[in-house]
Amino acid sequence: MSLLWLRVAVLLYGIAALAVLPAALYDRPRWRHIAIPATIAAVLFHFVSLAEMLSAAHHRLPVDTHETQTLLGLLLALAFLVVYWRYKTVSLGIFILPICFLLGLLPAFHPGQESTTFPILHTGWIFLHVALLLAAYAALLLSLLASLLYLVQERRLKQKSPTLPSLPPLETADQIALKALLFGLPCMTAGLLIGSLIAQATVGISYFRDPKILLAFAMWLVYIAMIYIRRHAGLRGRRAVYLSSFVFFVVLAVWAANQFSDVHRFNAP
Amino acid sequence: MSQATQGRLVLLGINHNTAPIEVRERLAIPSTRLADATRSLLHQPGIREGLILSTCNRVELLTLQDDTGEAANTQPQTKADLLRFLHEYFSVPPNDIQPHLYEFREREAVRHLFRVASSLDSMVVGEPQILGQVKESYTIAREVGAVSTHLESLLQRTFTVAKKIRSETQIGSSSVSIASVAVDLARKIFGSLQGKTVLLVGAGKMSELAARHLIHQGAASILVTNRTHSRAEKIAADFASSAVHTEAILFDDLYAQAPRADIVISSTGAPQKIFSPSHGQHFLHARRNRPMFFIDIAVPRDVDPRMNEVEGCFVYDIDDLQQVAAANLADRSREAAAAETIVSREVEKYHERLQSRDAVPAIKALQQQAEELRQAELARSQSKLASLTPEQQAAVDALTRSLTAKLIHPQLVALRRRVEDNTDPQK
Repeated sequence: MSLLWLRVAVLLYGIAALAVLPAALYDRPRWRHIAIPATIAAVLFHFVSLAEMLSAAHHRLPVDTHETQTLLGLLLALAFLVVYWRYKTVSLGIFILPICFLLGLLPAFHPGQESTTFPILHTGWIFLHVALLLAAYAALLLSLLASLLYLVQERRLKQKSPTLPSLPPLETADQIALKALLFGLPCMTAGLLIGSLIAQATVGISYFRDPKILLAFAMWLVYIAMIYIRRHAGLRGRRAVYLSSFVFFVVLAVWAANQFSDVHRFNAP
Repeated sequence: MSQATQGRLVLLGINHNTAPIEVRERLAIPSTRLADATRSLLHQPGIREGLILSTCNRVELLTLQDDTGEAANTQPQTKADLLRFLHEYFSVPPNDIQPHLYEFREREAVRHLFRVASSLDSMVVGEPQILGQVKESYTIAREVGAVSTHLESLLQRTFTVAKKIRSETQIGSSSVSIASVAVDLARKIFGSLQGKTVLLVGAGKMSELAARHLIHQGAASILVTNRTHSRAEKIAADFASSAVHTEAILFDDLYAQAPRADIVISSTGAPQKIFSPSHGQHFLHARRNRPMFFIDIAVPRDVDPRMNEVEGCFVYDIDDLQQVAAANLADRSREAAAAETIVSREVEKYHERLQSRDAVPAIKALQQQAEELRQAELARSQSKLASLTPEQQAAVDALTRSLTAKLIHPQLVALRRRVEDNTDPQK
């Protein structure tokens, strides 16, 4: 049943991803009135599907790649709705909604077979660890996309393009980018802290010698450095995109390291 | 049938396309006299309902006239009759007006009204004022009792169509004046203009107009500088209000004070550039890279165009603004085509509604006549039916009802068809 809800959600993400194009690029209110309700419905179906999926697997957190992907998609869709509610812009949907669609597509039609019996996965703390880190990743992606929109809008204004598409104003894009980072920092900090405490209690000090874990802490430092530079140097535009992209690739590396780590992988603590 | 019961809709007028300003100004009715003029129009023989729309670009009389054969010879149902009203009311010789007049009847009058209210017939297509002007005329006409059933429904439909066109097309979404283009661009940079600071360098009507537009959008602070400081002080005083902070700054302090401004409007008569790219870099550094928007209205230009290459500086000169305005105007023309389709569809819908409304009295009369016949026949047979049980009597009643309905059905269909044929000018 959970697969059916997920497939419905994926279909709705697809509809929303198509409808958001004319809504964002040509400011067509009719299409916006399709994109937003479709996203809201998709989020609801997605949530139900995820809850059913985790309940059926007798655990309370995503343990395989597909489940993690689908949770990340849900968080991104929620982020898109929050941005729309706060700033009345659907432009980020041009990128976010197709990502949600793609993140849901594979789990919807080719669900993962992994299962785990590791007892710690049934605790609330580990769920918090995973959810907070995924929220931080979603925030970082949102920030990168907002910075990209800033760049596109800046370029169009500089080129004096007579027909400016309906992109968010520069200051709005900048605010979204910065606020997303500021939201992501406590999520990442708390997520890493909780993970460290659990690791300390269950595995011991050897856990912190794993390259994946070291990379995660490096990611945290880079993240803090990026926020510091953005806030204090007023970094905007091209350089902000470069910086966000760099941090994003660090995050991707940390994510990918899950596949190679001895002590931290989807089926391990 | 429709003509006799609903009256005849006639629209007569002149506008910017048909008449020069010299003619339009002689027929223009100030809003203070609009009620009186509408009352006079209503007192013309044969006029059942009427409305006068008078703007700087048009004067139009929308009337619903009696349409009986008898009245046709004596009442002002023709262009000449309404022309006489214009002549009498404005004391303008008919020969001066006649060549510029246009006249629309029935369906075409509805179409024209929809087009006017939707700003498709305006000098600047898509401008928003016209709908307000039509509404004002409607309010006045309603107050003096010149608008009742037919025009009431037509005008309500007109407002709905105009609103629909605004929401379903982009006809009014882009700015076509220099000042409003400047404001639009500022909003693309800063989003909301609430609390923003504007610096006026030099004086000029267009720069002051642009500044007023920015204040209207929420700009909270106006800095003014001029080589003649007293002139700067005067302009600053002109802008001062409880919601706007104004300040005249010395021209010598221009470069030190400029970083305070989010938007700089420059319109000096200086022969050389006032702002160079290095100034832009200095300003951005002082503002910690917060963007700055330079609106250069001066000719020769005050801002070096290379400043646009400085990250965070956006420079638009008068040609750039005009180019954006022209492109927006072209966009509006494209949107106008979509709006015309909506108008055509709505005109058809409106006429279909009218037709069905026209047929209602005749249909009701036929149904009533049939029912009376049925009741009479039942009454005649009452003695023979008295022995029936209540259930059997109910069955007979249902049977006669059904028979009557089936018998008059072909007549009802024919009636509806005839109404359609009568109101369709093609037939």
